[in-house]
Amino acid sequence: MDKTINEVKTSFHSDLKSCKTADDLEQVRIKYLGRKGKLTELFNQFASLSNKEKPKYGKTLNILKSDLNSSYNDKLNSLGLGKSETKDSKDFSLPGYALPKGNIHPLEQVTDEIKSIFKSIGFSVAYGPEIDDDYHNFEALNVPKHHPARDMQDTFFVDPNTVLRTHTSNVQIHLMENQDPPLRHICCGRVFRNEAVSYKSFCLFHQVEGLVINETSSFAEMKGTLEYFAKEMFGKDIKMRFRPSYFPFTEPSAEVDIWNEKLNQWMEILGCGMVNPNVLENVGYDSEKYQGFAFGMGIERIAMIKYGIRDIRLFYQNDKRFLEQF
Amino acid sequence: MKISIPWLKRFINFDHSASELAEILTMLGFESEVVTDFSSLKNIVVGEVESAEKHPNADKLKFCIVNDGEISHEVVCGAPNVAAGQKIVFAKVGAVLPGDFKIGKAKIRGVESNGMICSERELGISEEHDGIMVLDSSLKNGTNIADILGPMYDAIDIDITPDKAFALSHRGIAREIAAKLNKKLKNPLNSKRVIPDSSKKVKVVLDKKGGCPRYIAGVVKGVKVGPSPQWLLDYLKSVGQKSINNLVDISNFMLLEIGQPTHIFDLDKLSKQAIEVKWAKKGEKFDALDEETYTLDSDHLVITDSVNTVALAGIIGGKDSAVSDTTTNVLIESAYFDPIVVRKGSKKLNLLSEASRRFERGADPAAANDAFYMIVRLMQEIAGGELSSIVTDECALDLTPRKIVLSNKKLSQHAGFDIPANKVQNILSGLHIDCKSRGEGLISMDIADILSDTNKLQSMRIRTEFRPFMRNIVDHLYKIDKITRKDASSYRHRIRFGSKETLVELANTLKKEHSQDLPSEFVVKTTGKKNINNRDTQKWVCTIPSFRGDLVNESDLIEEVLRCYGYDNIDASYSFSSQMQYVEDEERPISKLKQYLSSVGFQQCYNNSLQDKSQIKHFGVKSVSVMNPSSDKMNALRTSLHQGLLNTLDFNYKNGSQNVLIYEQGTIFKNNGKKLEDIEQKNAFSCLVHGDFSAPNVHFDPIEGNFFLLKGLAEGIFNNLLKIKIKFVRESHPYCDTFYHIIDSKKSIVGSIGIINKGFLDKMDTSYKTDVCIMDIDTYRFKECSGYNIKAEDIILYPMVNRDLNFILDHDIELAQVCTAMKNVNQALLKEVVPVDIFESKELKNKKSVLFKLSFQDPKKTLEDNQVNSIITEIISLISKKFDAKLRDQ
Repeated sequence: MDKTINEVKTSFHSDLKSCKTADDLEQVRIKYLGRKGKLTELFNQFASLSNKEKPKYGKTLNILKSDLNSSYNDKLNSLGLGKSETKDSKDFSLPGYALPKGNIHPLEQVTDEIKSIFKSIGFSVAYGPEIDDDYHNFEALNVPKHHPARDMQDTFFVDPNTVLRTHTSNVQIHLMENQDPPLRHICCGRVFRNEAVSYKSFCLFHQVEGLVINETSSFAEMKGTLEYFAKEMFGKDIKMRFRPSYFPFTEPSAEVDIWNEKLNQWMEILGCGMVNPNVLENVGYDSEKYQGFAFGMGIERIAMIKYGIRDIRLFYQNDKRFLEQF
Repeated sequence: MKISIPWLKRFINFDHSASELAEILTMLGFESEVVTDFSSLKNIVVGEVESAEKHPNADKLKFCIVNDGEISHEVVCGAPNVAAGQKIVFAKVGAVLPGDFKIGKAKIRGVESNGMICSERELGISEEHDGIMVLDSSLKNGTNIADILGPMYDAIDIDITPDKAFALSHRGIAREIAAKLNKKLKNPLNSKRVIPDSSKKVKVVLDKKGGCPRYIAGVVKGVKVGPSPQWLLDYLKSVGQKSINNLVDISNFMLLEIGQPTHIFDLDKLSKQAIEVKWAKKGEKFDALDEETYTLDSDHLVITDSVNTVALAGIIGGKDSAVSDTTTNVLIESAYFDPIVVRKGSKKLNLLSEASRRFERGADPAAANDAFYMIVRLMQEIAGGELSSIVTDECALDLTPRKIVLSNKKLSQHAGFDIPANKVQNILSGLHIDCKSRGEGLISMDIADILSDTNKLQSMRIRTEFRPFMRNIVDHLYKIDKITRKDASSYRHRIRFGSKETLVELANTLKKEHSQDLPSEFVVKTTGKKNINNRDTQKWVCTIPSFRGDLVNESDLIEEVLRCYGYDNIDASYSFSSQMQYVEDEERPISKLKQYLSSVGFQQCYNNSLQDKSQIKHFGVKSVSVMNPSSDKMNALRTSLHQGLLNTLDFNYKNGSQNVLIYEQGTIFKNNGKKLEDIEQKNAFSCLVHGDFSAPNVHFDPIEGNFFLLKGLAEGIFNNLLKIKIKFVRESHPYCDTFYHIIDSKKSIVGSIGIINKGFLDKMDTSYKTDVCIMDIDTYRFKECSGYNIKAEDIILYPMVNRDLNFILDHDIELAQVCTAMKNVNQALLKEVVPVDIFESKELKNKKSVLFKLSFQDPKKTLEDNQVNSIITEIISLISKKFDAKLRDQ
């Protein structure tokens, strides 16, 4: 048996060596590896061996088989007849592997973009509670009880003195209570308004607000800061305007519009103003010494402008078909 | 508020179109929209209906011939009032009506129609749409409609912010335009006193708590109620106000003209010719003009005739005392009510009126008098009658104009640039604010001197330049820790806004409590002579007109100056880089986690924080409820992100997506008690998987999104992203059958994973064919751990030796234990043990055959075979003993 195995091995290698063409090689394959080839013959002989001999020859034959196969394949490749050219080659027109598609929520993407713009000009990011007392959400911000300005924000109450924050401005108060100027922060997060749910309003939305307090920051600097932001966010050719408005916590106050070329109209993107001295006094800052500005914007609004989304409810429905688009 | 352009022209002359005016006002802080601007409408002319016959195919339509001054058109019209001979508003083909409504040729029931005959609503004039608008028959056919309707109906709509009570009238808006266009304001109505023909007097008693600080009353007898004259009807119509009768119309006109609400009582329906303002009785019923009955509370201010309640002060009049067709004698009320009293009253009844809107924002206390006489005069002119009582003016208000000092230095500091002084003065005087320029003269004074002399302190009230000095003292005390930050704040607040008394009081307090801490060197320096031209010391003493109750401090004036200067005229400054500081963002590490999950195929969700209380309770944590929810589906705050994620799964499943891999970060709320401090507001992070992680395709079989996917992710997140070692420890969970805590090496819980049990999903009215698995990650621990654990290690250059071992083990043995046991045999050299194949079959019965892959490596040298072999031998004997395992034949 050993002898036969060695003979097959030697003659196979010498035959293989002399192969020059595909035909030569095919002859070798039939002779040794084919259905009636020498290798099959050896395995047939093996079947008739005694149980004692079997383990020994089994191993030898397996080694021989793999040696023959791999040598044959090497030769095949060296002749440039690799698998790709043979009949059972792959269909490369098939689609690629279907890898899972995941996305960051569009509101998160917009928030991240806004954050990174402000971070790049030295703003830190602060966060605060979504349920807060009336003082931090309203009174400290110069919105006393029974003031008509309360009508500007429909409020959810947990109890008569506790609210779901109507804006992230409560974070500004917490910040100022715990820190002395200078301040240069943005605050972002979820805010709540008790409004009827429709395509243009939901019971909650997300805000990014900014606050800069020091001894010199002026209205002109606020304009510069927000122009920088708008150009980074919407492109350097964006047309924008500042128009006077009213917020209890800032004075002078302004709203900022950007020009929408497609709709041929101005679109409001944010509100801003110089921090009202009453707010500074409420947190124990000397309003004769310190001044600064604040601004705030709704993320949904900006995302809707940016992506052309018409129904605000889509953001909270989490329909895969919607989320997968971003 | 709808503002009529022709009405504005009562006060100023201008040629601007409605659109131009809207633009000017918007940029002054009055966001305006055009309601009707006839100058912008083209191809709309006066037409004449030459004939109007029944439409051949429709009963309700008419077939008309309309002459446009040049040619005749065939037009189909649906209005019931169309008739031959009428002059009408004709929109030709090609015209565009308000609301971007384009007029084209149309076939209506088989008949071609070339143009349209317009109703008032189609033109944006009113809501009238029952018929077409019929014009004066003297008009010439073909006249451009802008020339006819523009002067009558051009109008804009202004969104007036709550601070601008002064702008809630045509005069108020006209004043702003006049200031901007540099024009003079006219006084169309006469408010001169009228001499009564009687010496009788209306007795007026004011309430004691100051709810009504001013009440003017007078009687006019012999009026004739009837329709209003055309000019009055036209003005009311131009802002969409319905005409009632001449008396009511006069009162409404006055409100829209100068913003002062007034009320006219039928004198003969009052019990007495007397007015008593007082607080309502709790539970008192009041029948109002709007046909509703209101139940009043003890903080509702009412007007009584000393017997009966005849009006709800500043909000609405009573039904029983209202003027009617038979009224001949009236009592006129023109008052000033406290804004908070009116607001509370109207809020409580949820009753908002044009009057309450003006009073709650602060009416002009001086206008009450003007309005009264304007009404008397108008009444005499329109309805006849004579003033038949002495006019009573009960006034508890100090009507001396308020004075505010504006410093040029502060103005330019806030603006960020210098505005020329004459420009500032022009702006202020345009707003009817009288300003006197003055330099700052400081007088040398010793602190002890000031504090010992009360007279000087009183004079300090007038000399506002002493205020900074007092503030310095406060700051000094704060700095040397003698007073708290809060005290300093309240002192400064009082100095800024305080009265004479508070300033004296403050000084006395400071003296009494801190005299030894006050520095003797606190001496105000003399600046010498007044120098008006020095910008740094220049100040204006501004006298505020009575209608500007909103202007109370310096920053209010700074706003006015900048607003009128024009925000767009301010050059932006880019000097902010000088303040760069370290940028903090505690959420930064979490974005890494989100990127990771999204990159392997997860969708990030944003779910509503407000959820249905009855569903929240399944999650087993006491929730925080909302007092005034907008719906039962959103009446409490979520206690777990699982709820939103399960609802998202349900939504997508029902919409045909079975494979759902989602996560969310957000705040969850736990109710631990009644106070705000007892509400736990926690940042949470949860994932949910259901269905396939990877869908079946031509290349490979589907990969299930299950417990092991989450476990693998957890390993990826903690081992790979954070480089911290974790263990999974089985625990019980209220709604997960299989549930593991993820524990770090310090034994703290950093997260958890579990499979939600079917029973729970039933409770949520959902059911799925495959497991719904969840994973929570503790974001606080995640943030703590991130960024600090990565330490580069040397790469081991010696080869790794791999060996396979195949054991037959009891089915119930957890393989994690087996792997750990193997590893413990030689932790130094055995780098890794992983099960790579598990084989179970009938023949094996309750056993399983497991193939383990073991990787050995020595960091210092190449491993010898016999070294590995001896470890293997040791492992085989240990595992065989410990787990009653058998090594399988190779």
